[in-house]
Amino acid sequence: MPCPYLDYRRDDADHEFDTERAYCTAVESFVQPMRADICNDRYDLDHEAHCEFFREAER
Amino acid sequence: MTYADYRDGKPVIITAALTGGVHGKEANPNLPETPAEIGEAAAAAEAAGASIVHLHARRANGERAFATDRFQAVADAVRARTEDVILQHSTGGTGAPDALRAEPLRTDPAPEMASLDMGPLNRYQHLTSENTRGLVADLHAEMQERGIKPELEVFNGGHLNESLAILDDLDEPPYLNLVFGGGTTTIPHPRNLLTLVENLPDGVEFNVLAFGPHQLPLTTMGILLGGHARVGLEDNLYYRKGELAESNAQLVARTASVAEILGRPVATPAEAREILRL
Repeated sequence: MPCPYLDYRRDDADHEFDTERAYCTAVESFVQPMRADICNDRYDLDHEAHCEFFREAER
Repeated sequence: MTYADYRDGKPVIITAALTGGVHGKEANPNLPETPAEIGEAAAAAEAAGASIVHLHARRANGERAFATDRFQAVADAVRARTEDVILQHSTGGTGAPDALRAEPLRTDPAPEMASLDMGPLNRYQHLTSENTRGLVADLHAEMQERGIKPELEVFNGGHLNESLAILDDLDEPPYLNLVFGGGTTTIPHPRNLLTLVENLPDGVEFNVLAFGPHQLPLTTMGILLGGHARVGLEDNLYYRKGELAESNAQLVARTASVAEILGRPVATPAEAREILRL
């Protein structure tokens, strides 16, 4: 199950994209594509284990 | 590769790392992500002096992709737009299952080269790309089966140990990419480049990859030491401090200019194939 802090957006105050991209509502920022795989629990990745943003937000 | 090679004016191979898989347009909007964008960037990089393009594949939204068909789309787009450039597919993939890591090797035709990560690499706060010896051996075996020359990614001195241990299994000449930056890569300082180069056996060709602001000085030093240079937006988002790079070609052109000023001609793809015996 994807991270509850994951959203997909086209823009924020500093960016505008042609497609929706991974946005972290915990740190209020678009995230790197590699980190987006963690957000999505894709491949062997797990946001609860591998994401410091999630872990900090859940403290 | 030695200082004597520099003095002899041996051609320098420039690799353009066009897109990568870590950051994307959120970091620099000029970074190519789609196959068409990567193809255009490859053509411009080749025109600027790159003889090798290092390729990753992505999904439509910029996120990473490892499947053969995604790499096929990128490779086709690059081949359709370039003259003679050498394609080098990445087999890197933090967090990707081992079974997926070989997928970029299975395009038709196979790439002439592929990267081979030589050991563990930390990512973020809680993640490590393991790159076990078993995975390295499996990827290398498939590269050998398909006639693909590996570029050994030496993220630190320990990975040089790992590389030296398999040197006899490599086709001549072994090609090592010395990586400098933060975290588990080698500390980016000239003395560490010298140390790594001094530990290379005769007959090894080396390339220098340095992240961010270290790209220009350490690749320049590598050229002086007889090595080759990798530049591009995968490794460095900026042209100079505070100024985002406009394109991969802009970074390639600068390194080509540096090489020419220093007296080493820039290798054509044909010359790169001759040096690396592709």
